Amino acid sequence: MTAYVTHRLLQTLVVLLLMSVAVYGLIWLMPGDPIDLMVSANPDLTAADGARLRALYGLDRPFAERYLAWLQAALGGDLGYSRQYARPVLEIVGPRMANTLILVGLSFVASVALAFPLGLIAARRPYSAADNAVNLFCFAGISIPPFWLALLLIMAFSVGLGWLPAGGVPAEGGLGAEAAHLVLPVATLTLGSVAAYARFIRGETIAALRLDFVRTAQAKGATPWRVLTRHALRNALIPVVTVIGLHFGTVFSGALITETMFAYPGMGKLIYDSIMGNDFNLALAGLLLVTLITLLSNLAADLLYVRLDPRVNYEGART
Amino acid sequence: MPSCRRPFLRNALILGLVLASLWPGARGAAARDLTIGITQFPSTFNPLIDSMMAKSFILGMTRRPVTAYDADWNLVCLLCAELPTLENGLAKIEPLKDGGEGMALTLKIHPDATWGDGVPVTAEDVVFTCQVGRHPDTGVGNFEAFRRILDVEVLDDKTVVLHGDRVTFDYNDMSGLTLLPAHLERPAFAEPREYRNRTLFDTDTANPGLYFGPYRITEVALGSHVVLERNETWWGATPAFDRITVRTIENTAALEANLLSGGIDYIAGELGLTVDQALAFEKRHGETFKVLYRSGLAYEHIDLNLDSPILKDRRVRRALLTAIDRAAISERLFEGRQPVANGFVNPLDWVHDPDLPEYPYDPAAAAALLDKAGWADIRGGIRHNAAGEPLRVVLMTTAGNRMRELVEQVLQSQWKQVGIETEIRNEPARVFFGETVTMRRFPHMAMFAWISSPENVPRTTQHSNQIPSEANAWAGQNYPGYSRPEVDDLIDAIEVELDRDKRLALWKRLQAIYAEELPVLPLYFRADPYVMPKWLDGVRPTGHQYPSTLWVEEWRVAE
Amino acid sequence: MSDAATLGVHTSLTRMMMRRFLEHRLAVVGGVVLVLLCGLCAGAPLLEAALGLDATEVDLFARFEGPSAAHWLGTDELGRDVFLRLLYGGRVSLFVALTAALAAAVIGTAIGILAGYRGGWADALLMRLTDTVIALPLLPLLIVLAKVDLAKLGLPAEAAHGEAAQLWRLIAIIALFGWTTVARLVRGATLSVREREFVRAAEALGARSTRIMLVHILPNVMTPVIVATTLSMGGIVLFESVLSFLGLGVQPPMPSWGNMMTGAHELIWSHAELVLYPGGLIFLTVIAFNFLGDGLQDAFDPRAARR
Repeated sequence: MTAYVTHRLLQTLVVLLLMSVAVYGLIWLMPGDPIDLMVSANPDLTAADGARLRALYGLDRPFAERYLAWLQAALGGDLGYSRQYARPVLEIVGPRMANTLILVGLSFVASVALAFPLGLIAARRPYSAADNAVNLFCFAGISIPPFWLALLLIMAFSVGLGWLPAGGVPAEGGLGAEAAHLVLPVATLTLGSVAAYARFIRGETIAALRLDFVRTAQAKGATPWRVLTRHALRNALIPVVTVIGLHFGTVFSGALITETMFAYPGMGKLIYDSIMGNDFNLALAGLLLVTLITLLSNLAADLLYVRLDPRVNYEGART
Repeated sequence: MPSCRRPFLRNALILGLVLASLWPGARGAAARDLTIGITQFPSTFNPLIDSMMAKSFILGMTRRPVTAYDADWNLVCLLCAELPTLENGLAKIEPLKDGGEGMALTLKIHPDATWGDGVPVTAEDVVFTCQVGRHPDTGVGNFEAFRRILDVEVLDDKTVVLHGDRVTFDYNDMSGLTLLPAHLERPAFAEPREYRNRTLFDTDTANPGLYFGPYRITEVALGSHVVLERNETWWGATPAFDRITVRTIENTAALEANLLSGGIDYIAGELGLTVDQALAFEKRHGETFKVLYRSGLAYEHIDLNLDSPILKDRRVRRALLTAIDRAAISERLFEGRQPVANGFVNPLDWVHDPDLPEYPYDPAAAAALLDKAGWADIRGGIRHNAAGEPLRVVLMTTAGNRMRELVEQVLQSQWKQVGIETEIRNEPARVFFGETVTMRRFPHMAMFAWISSPENVPRTTQHSNQIPSEANAWAGQNYPGYSRPEVDDLIDAIEVELDRDKRLALWKRLQAIYAEELPVLPLYFRADPYVMPKWLDGVRPTGHQYPSTLWVEEWRVAE
Repeated sequence: MSDAATLGVHTSLTRMMMRRFLEHRLAVVGGVVLVLLCGLCAGAPLLEAALGLDATEVDLFARFEGPSAAHWLGTDELGRDVFLRLLYGGRVSLFVALTAALAAAVIGTAIGILAGYRGGWADALLMRLTDTVIALPLLPLLIVLAKVDLAKLGLPAEAAHGEAAQLWRLIAIIALFGWTTVARLVRGATLSVREREFVRAAEALGARSTRIMLVHILPNVMTPVIVATTLSMGGIVLFESVLSFLGLGVQPPMPSWGNMMTGAHELIWSHAELVLYPGGLIFLTVIAFNFLGDGLQDAFDPRAARR
């Protein structure tokens, strides 16, 4: 077990390192640099001032040299300063990460809580009216463009009905205000994932219902609901948990759209803004952190899979 | 499917209207807090580093530059006790060591000016600020303003003499000088290269000692909002609001929604909605909100690359301008809120010449001009010259700027009517300003805006030694490549002409040549819409680069 | 087994698949909707001529007009015909989706067959690569890629910033990350095909492995390729719209459903229909692709439960 986990962690590190080279390279290939942006915003700045500032920040040095300097500092725990916020990168990332975790966590709980009943209702009688309704809902959920959904929700609940704030985080007002600001973003994120989960749960449960021992239980006279929840669901749980675990990481990407639409100060919006604002250090740190979380959640899903299914040992787990 | 949603939406919007109309009225009387929405978050709070509107906007409430142009476009003292002029003797022309002439300005700091921690604002702060500003390693944005100050001479605690390196008509404009608190910032400056990262403005933003304006920053949530509270050491009128919160919401649709839902009270014009958004908003909510439009010094125009064979011909340039219906663009897209520009000087500027030629929409005249210029052969709707080359031009601007993209498409369509084919090729702002425009790599036309202060001498944009090239390390902003000896002479003369009447004559001549030569297609002067509740009074949009917050103490709740 | 018998089995299998597909009503509806949409979009120039309109013609005196006989869905913020612009936007969006999905299918099939047939370290390496790509935070990376300046890679600025470059770059970026599902499915199919007699026979006859992969294996793994590609198409339409919406995909004046919403979303309070139309079309297209893919999956693989 320990050996396996160590192996996987090492692998994660290698991927991270490769990612850092790739992302650093890509950012280097992005047009202009922070100084260009500064010069264009200020008519009093001359080209000579630009050159002076560029040399000051080391932006005139070649790629390899800059990357190695960055890597060395990063390994020493110094991820540099953000250009946009004039703070050390880690100081900015921390609170943003917390915000995103709240958003993604709430949506995650809500989706799982909704997806299981929906999936089971659908699986109980495949092709019934209930199943068709759930199915239609699921297809709609995975097909709706997230930014459009966000706009529809804002139109309906913020401007139309005036029930909920359209975005941002409250500067005051305590927990109640904060909760109100979270409703629409969480709803936007949840609709997509609940659809994906429910479809999967339904599929796995139907497959499990066809297994021999489940049929035996049915034959023995167990009530349909009991068969469904006790036997089929338990068997379906393994692949379901894995997929949900794998999905957790990708929810972060979805949060980028949601956070942007609702002006919610989370990681996704931070990464987007830093890329758009050419904030090298911040974009790099943000992207790597999100990758790390995705990789770790995959690892967690794998470990959970092994735990739930005693037939698989660590060596045989999907790597 | 959309059709089945529409009734619901319409009802929802009506309901929203009703709710919105109840909401702000209810809170107006009791408001002691104000929440302002803007679309940008400052990258730093240090007054000298970087230069962006979000910072100027917020810092406008917390500190004052020595001087600034007010809403009537007059230069006024904000931190100084008296504006130095040659007439009152506080400004003097003096000989320079190298033989030229310089100026000595006596700056009297307002006697009651005090930092938020009780330490008086003194000459020491001026000396320190100039020291930081002139240091090449600090990364200070506005280097030029400090380079012109040769020496700072301290007379007493509240009085200094600034020795400048030249004589210009705008000698007493000290708007670039905003003071740093020497008693707090000196340690951070011990290592100039690290100053940028160590400045207390960013490491300890809520420190009261950093501010001396009517408000001071008490809380910062990065990327989200800034809270300001009254500064007890402020010497001027007591501001009306206990607390002002500035929230950043980049997405203008969300900004609007927040205004309607009460999340914010007021959308600042400096960084807010576009004119067409504001116009649509006013139509729906004009009963509960008021919108002030201030057209100002943002001069939207198209730089023409005069090196291109097509645009070298003045007749073609004139045809391009007469073929577009700028009046209709202004009227239909902006409901007349953004007046058509006939030159680079805003009509509100006192040096503006009202008698310039106007080039109204006249496609027939444009066609005649193009015929004369040799583009007479129309094939497939596109004009060709004798050599068989098509009249095809490339129009570029910043990608993602919706208003510019809209205007581009209008121009493209109108030029097509007279046989000019336009390719729209937009680039992200960084490429556009970073390389394409600054290195004159646009083949024909580049659309953008200049934002300036009143009576701004167009040296960098029109003087022939300001044409960027490899040889001058891409210095200057004369992107069209406009080169006329008379223009150079006029610019040199205006800068040093201290007599207003004589200067006005020079200005008129400069504008006349510009209108005759058309190195640039003037479009219109952009207007900023200030969307505020009816209960908010006293906000005076300035229309130039100095934000309205510099007079925040005049903002009031209407009775 | 004689050839005739094989043929018989083959046709009955096809017929069975057809029947199963037709039973999946939603899939049929999805297919019909897509055919209609594609037809309409492809025929946009004809329709334009028939209606006597010009989709690019700006009319500042006819902004935000309601639906009329001349303009079926009214006019937009510049007085252009909304219906025609939607069709032209659809051409771009669907072209990007189809091309990118095709490119992704080619990459995925190549990787899947190579991994499945070669096995061993090649398989391990390729599947590790697939897993890693799946695990990457997709959207932020797409945004970084969309911002890369091709001119810095040595392309001339004209080509790098032109309209066509934007489009192909978008397609390339989406294909670069969209191949993983196909690769996994194809690998699985290849693993089973590899053991079949005709492959063994070809190997025994000394056929080169490239030939075996192309001639013997590829035709037999087309089914999962088709299913996976159809299913991924919806996701790709979504990606295109998201990137264009964020201003990183298709650039105006070329319309796409995504970038038509970028402009219009600032006007949602006053002219909500300009947001509803393109968004609704994206939704319709994506859901149709998903229905279709689902139906195909059912038809080709009866054992799999409907997911």
